Amino acid sequence: MQGSPTLAPAENPIGRILVAAMAIGFLALLVAAGAAGYVVRQTNRHSDWVIHTYRVEGVLIEVRRLAEQQETARRGYMLAGTPAFLNSFERAHAELAPQVDELRRLTADNPRQRAPMAMVEQRLADLDAAQRQTNALVQQGRGADALRQFRADSGLLRMQKLRHVFDAMAREERRLLALRDAEQVASRQTFSTVMAIAALLFLAVVAVSFLTIRRYTRDLHRSRSALAVLNATLEDQVKERTADLALANEEIQRFAYIVSHDLRSPLVNVMGFTAELSAATQPLAELIDRAESEAPQIVTEEARLAAREDLPEAIGFIRTSTAKMDRLINAILKLSREGRRVLAPEMIALDQLVEQITDAIRHVIDDRGVTVTIERPMPVVVSDRIALEQILSNLIENATKYRHPSRPAEVHVSAQETPGRVIVAVRDNGRGIDPRDHQRIFDLFRRSGQQDQPGEGIGLAHVRALAYRLGGTISVESQLGQGATFFLSLPPALSIAPPLQESA
Amino acid sequence: MNDHRSVGIVMIEDDEGHARLIEKNIRRAGILNDIRHFTDGTTALEYLFHAPDGPAKSGPALVLLDLNLPDMSGTDILARIKDENSPLRRAPVVVLTTTDDKVEIQRCYDLGCNVYITKPVNYENFAQAIRQLGLFLSVIQVPEVEG
Repeated sequence: MQGSPTLAPAENPIGRILVAAMAIGFLALLVAAGAAGYVVRQTNRHSDWVIHTYRVEGVLIEVRRLAEQQETARRGYMLAGTPAFLNSFERAHAELAPQVDELRRLTADNPRQRAPMAMVEQRLADLDAAQRQTNALVQQGRGADALRQFRADSGLLRMQKLRHVFDAMAREERRLLALRDAEQVASRQTFSTVMAIAALLFLAVVAVSFLTIRRYTRDLHRSRSALAVLNATLEDQVKERTADLALANEEIQRFAYIVSHDLRSPLVNVMGFTAELSAATQPLAELIDRAESEAPQIVTEEARLAAREDLPEAIGFIRTSTAKMDRLINAILKLSREGRRVLAPEMIALDQLVEQITDAIRHVIDDRGVTVTIERPMPVVVSDRIALEQILSNLIENATKYRHPSRPAEVHVSAQETPGRVIVAVRDNGRGIDPRDHQRIFDLFRRSGQQDQPGEGIGLAHVRALAYRLGGTISVESQLGQGATFFLSLPPALSIAPPLQESA
Repeated sequence: MNDHRSVGIVMIEDDEGHARLIEKNIRRAGILNDIRHFTDGTTALEYLFHAPDGPAKSGPALVLLDLNLPDMSGTDILARIKDENSPLRRAPVVVLTTTDDKVEIQRCYDLGCNVYITKPVNYENFAQAIRQLGLFLSVIQVPEVEG
């Protein structure tokens, strides 16, 4: 095999890196979003605070203005004594009360403003009381008393103190604003830092992801081109291997053929000269006979035995052995010839073929008293008719041959199509085959069980060789005494590579 | 054959046993012609073409040829005998071999062999075939060799 980049191990780390990068990126985004949300909220709160501060300042100014106006109206009233000033005083007073309430409400959250606020209220109340006294005096026409009281009461001081308190409150608000400004700046800085870190993280993640994906893509591309090369050469490789196999197979066939041929040649000699010997014993035996009758004294017991028994016996053994050897060699020759025969695939209806076969050996089947049943329907296969006929004929003939002594022989032939295979089963209820011999019976010259039937151990070897040639397999299921089932598994359509060279 | 004495039989057969069995069975068919036996191609060719008493120099001959020889293929000898310029091109050649391969048989006839016989493995058949060949040899005409 050519060195091909292995995809599977590289895939996982890349996947993990990508997932991790995405998780980190997502986390960074989340943190950034969180920080942004926090900062927005912070800013909102800050602007609320700013508005609050300005409102407090505004209300403060308003309170101050109204207090001043009220004081001014009182002073005007003392000076002029006209009711317009009194009206102005009352108006200012009426306006002042809600403003003071507002101010109290606004500063209620700040404990540091509570004391000045109380002081403001106290002072305003005191001032109001003093003002109302002088106003009442003016109303009664005692302007001089009012003026005197005003001087004694030191309205100016009162006003000044009130102003101080207002200033203090305004300063406090300013201080708070400054504090909140600082906070705002700090949170902005934090936000910028967080954003910067998130951005950096994000960039890093993007970079890592990009690099990983690029590496992965490059790997993918490389393996794809390797795959393409492999794909392109696969046909050739398969062809090459097939050619190698075919060559090897042919070599074996040729070898078997040559061996069996060359074995035949000396065998002809052995048989030939045995025949000559046999022919020569005839006159010898006659000579002994004549000598025995004419001159018995020259015939020894040994000579008589040699001519009448030893020689014919030896010749007989040589003959049966050579005859057997001849059959074995012929079997090898037949197998090797079968291997060299060019297969011709054609459409074969299996049920018809099985019927033809059983008809052809009908006399054997009837002689042995066997019932053969064919289970229909059977599929149609594309295969070599002669080879298939020889296989099935052998299997069926075998099935009828090795009967169980205690029951009537039955043979059942069935075939079924499974995806990609056609399986023909030949089942008998005969004497069965020892599981130890299930492989052996397919070997040349090997047989199993009691040797009470004629045969050389060739049939099943032939069957297996043929099955292999048809792209099939043969197997057996059997227990001793319980019958046997032979399974022939075939491709539904036999495809043959064109022969590499004509058989020579 | 024309003159039972003059036509020589040249047997080229590497197996001594086969040669002996062939000769015996030919004799049993009543053939009395001289049989010269060679076990390899080189000496056989030497005799056929160059020996003073060989067929090329003196008189007609019939060749019994085995195809499996130790030093060359029988078809090479056949090709030499049947060559256009060979003085022996009309001499009958009987190929007697174990091979029954179709291609081989075709090739021999293409090269000009006159009879192709496959040696039967079974000896009885073998003996019978040789005896029939002997009978056949006794009736065929063998042409004279061109000078």
